[in-house]
Amino acid sequence: MAFERVLTRNVGNRDALTLDGYKKTGGYEALAKALKMEPEAVIEEVKKSGLRGRGGAGFPAGMKWGFIPKGKDKPKYLVCNADESEPGTFKDRLLMEHDPHQLIEGCAICCWAVHAETCYIYIRGEYTKAAAILERALKEAYDARILGNSAMGSGFKLNMYVHRGAGAYICGEETGMLESLEGKRGQPRVKPPFPAVVGAFGAPTVINNVETLCNVPHIINRGADWFKSIGTDERNTGPKLYAISGHVERPGTYEHPIGITFREMLEAAGGMWRQGQLKAFIPGGASAPLLKASEIDIKMDFDTVAKAGSMLGSAAVIVMDETVCMVRSVARLAKFFNHESCGQCTPCREGTNWMELLLKRLEHGEGREGDAMLLKSVAGNVGGNSLCALGDAAVGPVKSLVERFPEEIEAHIRERRCPFPEYRYFKDGV
Amino acid sequence: MPKVTINDRTVEVEAGTNLIEAGIKVGVQIPHYCYHPRLTVVGQCRMCLVEVSVNGKKMPKLQAGCSTPVADNMEVRTDTDEVRDAQAGMMEFFLINHPLDCPICDQAGECGLQDYSFKHGVAFSRFKFEDKRTYPGRERIPLGPNVILNMNRCIQCTRCVRFTHEVSQTGELGFFNRGARTEIGTFPGKELDNPLSTCVVDICPVGALTSTRFRFAERVFYLDKKPSICTGCDVGCNITMEHRRGNIKRYKPRFNPEVNDYWMCDYGRSTFERYKSVPRLRGCRVRSEDGTETIGGWKEALDLVHRRLRQRTSEGAVAFLGSGNLTNEEAWLFSLLASYVGSPHRGTPVDLGAGWTIPNLKGGITGTELAPNRRGAEMLGMRPSAGEELDETLGGDGSNGKEKAPVLDQDELLLGDGASKCAVLVVCDSDFGRGAYTPEVVERLRRAKFLVVFGWADSPLAKVADVALPVATHAEKDGTFVNAEWRVQRFVAAFPAPAQVRSTVEALSDLLGRFDPKWAGLTPEKVFDRIAADVPAFVGLKWSTLPATGAALQVPGANPIMSETTAETMPEVS
Amino acid sequence: MTEAPAPQTRFPGFTPEARRQLDELRKRYPTAEAVLLPALYIAQRLSGGWLPDEAIQAVAAELDLPESKVYGVVTFYDLFHQKPVGRHRIRVCTNLSCQIRGSEEIMGTLHKELGVGEEEVTPDGRCSFVHFECLGSCDTAPMMMVDDDYYENLTPQQVRSILRGLK
Repeated sequence: MAFERVLTRNVGNRDALTLDGYKKTGGYEALAKALKMEPEAVIEEVKKSGLRGRGGAGFPAGMKWGFIPKGKDKPKYLVCNADESEPGTFKDRLLMEHDPHQLIEGCAICCWAVHAETCYIYIRGEYTKAAAILERALKEAYDARILGNSAMGSGFKLNMYVHRGAGAYICGEETGMLESLEGKRGQPRVKPPFPAVVGAFGAPTVINNVETLCNVPHIINRGADWFKSIGTDERNTGPKLYAISGHVERPGTYEHPIGITFREMLEAAGGMWRQGQLKAFIPGGASAPLLKASEIDIKMDFDTVAKAGSMLGSAAVIVMDETVCMVRSVARLAKFFNHESCGQCTPCREGTNWMELLLKRLEHGEGREGDAMLLKSVAGNVGGNSLCALGDAAVGPVKSLVERFPEEIEAHIRERRCPFPEYRYFKDGV
Repeated sequence: MPKVTINDRTVEVEAGTNLIEAGIKVGVQIPHYCYHPRLTVVGQCRMCLVEVSVNGKKMPKLQAGCSTPVADNMEVRTDTDEVRDAQAGMMEFFLINHPLDCPICDQAGECGLQDYSFKHGVAFSRFKFEDKRTYPGRERIPLGPNVILNMNRCIQCTRCVRFTHEVSQTGELGFFNRGARTEIGTFPGKELDNPLSTCVVDICPVGALTSTRFRFAERVFYLDKKPSICTGCDVGCNITMEHRRGNIKRYKPRFNPEVNDYWMCDYGRSTFERYKSVPRLRGCRVRSEDGTETIGGWKEALDLVHRRLRQRTSEGAVAFLGSGNLTNEEAWLFSLLASYVGSPHRGTPVDLGAGWTIPNLKGGITGTELAPNRRGAEMLGMRPSAGEELDETLGGDGSNGKEKAPVLDQDELLLGDGASKCAVLVVCDSDFGRGAYTPEVVERLRRAKFLVVFGWADSPLAKVADVALPVATHAEKDGTFVNAEWRVQRFVAAFPAPAQVRSTVEALSDLLGRFDPKWAGLTPEKVFDRIAADVPAFVGLKWSTLPATGAALQVPGANPIMSETTAETMPEVS
Repeated sequence: MTEAPAPQTRFPGFTPEARRQLDELRKRYPTAEAVLLPALYIAQRLSGGWLPDEAIQAVAAELDLPESKVYGVVTFYDLFHQKPVGRHRIRVCTNLSCQIRGSEEIMGTLHKELGVGEEEVTPDGRCSFVHFECLGSCDTAPMMMVDDDYYENLTPQQVRSILRGLK
């Protein structure tokens, strides 16, 4: 069955970057429709659609919106999570650079639904181009009175701003993001209280990923039932962006119905790079445990991947062929988590540091008997005990290395070196 | 109020109480580093992880006790394998990058890592082939005049940072960098310099922050720790006097929610050094008419003083100069002496200074005087003309029937020419304040015909006295003080006075006993109970039942508000 | 190619344009503290790409925040620099997707061409480079960021050519 693109329908259409061009493709019709609906009804529609968060956690979006207290007397906020720092993820950047008004419209509808008069788009500092494009689109929206004191003439006051981050993965964690928005170090908070109760500046706040919010105009326009008709079952619905990179012929962002198998996804991306042999793949960003080549037919939706012992997360798929050393790869991910740990809580601060040191030692041929068990034990002490999910995320790839590729660890120890030669990607330094 | 069960012990607590506090109430110690009752909860150290079930359903992950408020029907277990593994795991994480500095670290013996490692950790290390993280060049950084930082030892609990922002509100310390490289420090070029700066050393669980004054001074396990009160100013912070065989090495604040909470100021911590640096009076020194000095016994010395006081010749007035360092009992006896002589000439010097505020839950107390008990001394009779009211009631020697001369108060004596009008001038406390060492003041007071000085310090004044009587420092006696908020607090001796040195109460009682035997053999307890019978503000109090946190006196301006915690229910946080 | 400002060793103070931007920013947030990150970006640009202590103090004074807090924020984030940087700041992604498509060789090329190590500034003050974490361009690996721009699908040859174009 031919799948019609939804989220990426304007990619390639430069006209849609402007407000007029966006409107020609039906843009802002959903917002106009939503503004005439009861906010409750908007939340219900999103709930019915089964839309789950596209940032990594997969939490039902409508349910999250429902947690916000009703009433219009106290301030409330929407913070759009455009921090996109999960290694392997680049889908939000595509959406923002090619269809900024889609995001603005989605944010506006959410604001109406929870009565948030201010929305901050927290975008990672490195995305200067996307931030500039968004600023331009926002200006257009303000000029056209879509935003401002009376959104589309409805009387609903709505302000939307771009807020640039400054280079910290932990600011993608929702409370880390709130701290950073408030001008502090991006250190996650203890929960409870949850952001729906005490969020930005002490007020109830919704935090949603870019892709999640981009789905919202389509749900309003075409209905929850349409959304549910795409996907595997009622817990895994809608279109999904998969960012595929690594050893594939045509890396990029592909929109598929959620639940496509990895094999199909790989084919759509042109198959293995240089006809390499698939060895392993990461289904959902650096935090997701590795899967082996034998799991190539796995359905890439939230529940199926979770059952296999991994997670769909941000659907950032990294493909590795037979030249890749698993220990070296996981060591690089451990280095990432160590660098990005905020340093507040002991297990993550010390544990990610130790895991990086351990894996580096293994990779450099200084591994000892029992290191695999030690790695597993350290990971076990970090996971579940940290203040936020980064600790759990750091543990994912490490545990999967020990469980799925124990023979590679043993080879490093036994041979006292990395058995994989340094691969030259560029011949003669060209 | 919600009910929580911790390790099968149930207790009802105020809504909002966290599990660590609830545990204390039922005698279950949940280990913790970053939590402190006066600082915001951050849930960082992860040492307080416990198993929590609500309505019979166990929560899938362990919960941090400090950030989990009690809910009704909550069941907590701290003795399961999962909890024990987590505690051991956290201890391992703390220690992998921690230097094995115990042999050279001040904190040994009162160290959070040592204690919990012993209780919750394991006796071996698995961190064998990796390099410990260090902070080169940050091993002995003076953060300010009073605090030295060794960043290698820090466990990043952030108590110190939160203290400077929330309690002292001076904001010098910050948390810099990220991840495993986080460190605490000041903005480059700035210092940790506020009146409460040494408190961060108290709250640091490890030896990362050490006190410049106490560094390498003594091993804490050789220190005898006795409760006392600081005499630096009129706040009356409760302290622990830590000494080794009478040699005081350190003052640390002692928890009293009514007065100083968990804190004390840097100046107060330095006040014990005077007891060691100023020479002491060690024997009764009598100067005869021709100027020769003899060191004799108490009997001869007191007999001489008694004789001189009784003479009351027309040579002049008899004046009594007290001090803000007098305990209530001493002040009362001293003014009693003045009444036996019928003298209205009394005074207590006021030594203004300090002006620091010690924070507590009631808004804090600001000390304005550099002595602990000027208010008590004045209330109990060491104020000008006080004798006139007391004269009749005490059955003293009666008025001397003379016309009313101007009263010689402390200003007349210290700043004016009052002493030259004195036949006898008795000074109780040779260390009555900063003036005691000023040559001009000493010279003025010496103008009295006969000068008697009680004191612990062999000050310039004591050196020129006709009779110098050696008495105990506040570390060597029992007594009560009244602080700036009119709260009376009791303290006891930490160690005995050296031979020949007696407590002032004992000496004055001995002297008064020569006027009337009924005053002989008094103890501070007996005197205090007498005060409670006679002085309206003290009515209802009793020495033996005085609360540990002190008692508010019944005077206008007293602060009788009890804070929400009491010393009984909240033991000291280490 | 963005125009790189000359690096300064002192903070020149907030220009009228910067003040105008700060005033506009204050309207966006309910607290002055929340203006901190945008204010630091402004101060960093005025100081030539990094934040000398003076700049940090100026921002702290402007927003009435403790200096220790502002310093804590500056040292937390990877895009704020406390040491001088080159006129052009190069960040090379070396995370997994780029690592398995040759980022190490790109780093090697930079090291060879510029003659300095990571975080060091070339003697003429032109460039400095560091390895960086995922920049969100994994489908065009290997890649790097020069000032505000992404350079994707790199080869060592392209890197040399890009470097030649930097003034």
